[in-house]
Amino acid sequence: MNLDKVIFGFFIVLALTLNLAFVIGPIDNPDNHNVWILFATIVVNLIATILKFGDRSQIGALLLATGLVADLQLVVCASIWTIAVYGTQSGLSATALASIVSIASGALAANFVSVTLVVADTLASRR
Amino acid sequence: MAKGSDLDRVAYIVLHDMRGPVVSLVLVYTVGIIGMVLMPGPVVDGATMHMSIFHAFYFMAYTATTTGFGELPHEFSDAQRMWTIFCLYMSVIAWIYAIGAIIRLVQNPYFTQALAQRRFAANVQRLHDPFVVVCGFGDTGSLLARGLSDHRINGVIIDSDVERIKALGLRDYDVTMPGLCADASVPKNLQDAGIARPNCMAVVVFTDEALSLKIAVMTRLLNPAAKVICRSTTREHDEELRALGAVSIADPFESFARELSLVWHAPVQHALEDWLVGARGASMAQPIKCPEGRWVLCGYGRMGQWLYGSMQPLGMTPMVIDPGLTQTHDLDAMIVGLATRRNLEAAGTSESVGVIAATDSDTDNLAILLSARNLNPDAFLVVRQNHHENEVAFQAASADLIMQPSLVCARRILLSLISPLVQPFLDALEKNPQVMVEKTYPRLAEVFDDQPPRLWTVDIDSQSAPAVIDCVAPVELGTLLRHPSNRDRRVACVPLMIDRSGRRLLMPDDELVIEAGDRLLMCGINGAQADLEATLTSAYTLPYLMTGLEPRRSRVLQSLGLS
Repeated sequence: MNLDKVIFGFFIVLALTLNLAFVIGPIDNPDNHNVWILFATIVVNLIATILKFGDRSQIGALLLATGLVADLQLVVCASIWTIAVYGTQSGLSATALASIVSIASGALAANFVSVTLVVADTLASRR
Repeated sequence: MAKGSDLDRVAYIVLHDMRGPVVSLVLVYTVGIIGMVLMPGPVVDGATMHMSIFHAFYFMAYTATTTGFGELPHEFSDAQRMWTIFCLYMSVIAWIYAIGAIIRLVQNPYFTQALAQRRFAANVQRLHDPFVVVCGFGDTGSLLARGLSDHRINGVIIDSDVERIKALGLRDYDVTMPGLCADASVPKNLQDAGIARPNCMAVVVFTDEALSLKIAVMTRLLNPAAKVICRSTTREHDEELRALGAVSIADPFESFARELSLVWHAPVQHALEDWLVGARGASMAQPIKCPEGRWVLCGYGRMGQWLYGSMQPLGMTPMVIDPGLTQTHDLDAMIVGLATRRNLEAAGTSESVGVIAATDSDTDNLAILLSARNLNPDAFLVVRQNHHENEVAFQAASADLIMQPSLVCARRILLSLISPLVQPFLDALEKNPQVMVEKTYPRLAEVFDDQPPRLWTVDIDSQSAPAVIDCVAPVELGTLLRHPSNRDRRVACVPLMIDRSGRRLLMPDDELVIEAGDRLLMCGINGAQADLEATLTSAYTLPYLMTGLEPRRSRVLQSLGLS
């Protein structure tokens, strides 16, 4: 067992699971979408992306790309949330939450691709 | 692909080394933000205020990078202040770690090497004029580079010695000379040096024997059309190189012996050769003249043997002094032993016309010089200088002729690089010393005062001389040499040789009619080449030079028959 691989796999999968935990539930119900989970998702996604740095293989390049897509979408979610809470009179409206969750679902798709790639790569190397 | 893989390597090293620091920064921010939100804030209206994630991130953003603006957005509670202290120190440590990693990265030898290689390859890519690849930047290499710079030829230099490449950066060359500190026998380095590019004129190799053989092989494989010139001093190495085919060999000792024999039998030509390569103090009016007669030759190594071989045909058999001599050396006159004062005396220095100090030690050579002068103040002293850095000592010793094998070798190579016609010209001139005295010297003396000479080749073909090719009337050489702005003046250059499909004519006269396919070797002052090119390429200048009348350019006026 390789500790490097464990840490790498841990963060990649955790990024997916946290993202799923944030997205799941009715799209405009604030009770189902916790700000702390969004925060954790962003942090874990950032770390997962950094861990993908410096891999020179084809798979590595694709992994880094998916990581960057997820980061971008999640940062947009956080920005919309912040603007909605502090920049508008109405606070976090159902519409704003719906767009946040839908964008986060996009990040979820990217994370899903990322995990699939890692699994596929692992399977391929264990012929 | 070579460039892409370099970039890849640099990017890989950066990303790989920065993973740790960046992850630690993200973690520190995360812990700081979570803690800041959890810490109970000040009590307002009986309720404990908590920071939101957004405010906590805002606070961390300025606390971690600077010392902070103050307690925003509200006055902090003591619990929050305690956490702030913790965050501050934690983030400072994380930043120090990150900055340390960046500094380590910049000092990483692989990283700096990868960067240097990339910069080098990019510089070579940017060269669009013909260039010469020089492998080995020692005495000979740096002398050649200086000569190339004087003749405005670009050079690309590879040497495995860091100090030499650093020294290259301090030279003030007139042209770009990118240098790389690397092993020149690695194909990738040779490729980066541009040997496969069409404007690579030649690869000149001045490294030790095993390495130069490798470089020659690599070059032959990577670019079979490239010209390879190798320095070689032993016969075995010569043979190995010759087996590769199309490799020119420059033997510094052979060149040296040839130069010295030239001083004996063709002093003016020796001066001409010196002057062409820009040697200081070379003068065709007062060429160095070696006396003929009894000589003493100190040192019978590779150099001494070449010298002995070149002196014998001239009817001079020197007295040889060398400690390594045995009976197997079938010499007429020899003394076994070091060239000490006693041995010099025994060799008859006082009755000799000259002494050649040709050992491979500069100290010994200088010592021989001093003893010989002492024994015979009138003797002509020829001394071999092995290392360029001893220049000052040799200048002070004021020998009659100082010869550096490395310099002689570099000059011969330089002459062959300037134009392929130079060497045939010099060889032909050596066979016709009369031409040299009657034509070459007076004509050159007419054009040059003390400007440095430039040599170049003119090809009479549709590309470089369309005006001559299109001209219906026969064009005489003298017409071409008239100045394009005033036909009564001459362009400041002298045609040295004309090559007509292999037949070579030395010092062609003005009445010679130029034909398509001719190649001319020209020697002129700086700028003369541009003057001549103006004539060769303009369809209007050439008729003016022939008749003195500028032809009408307008088609309408021509068709009206007014021209």
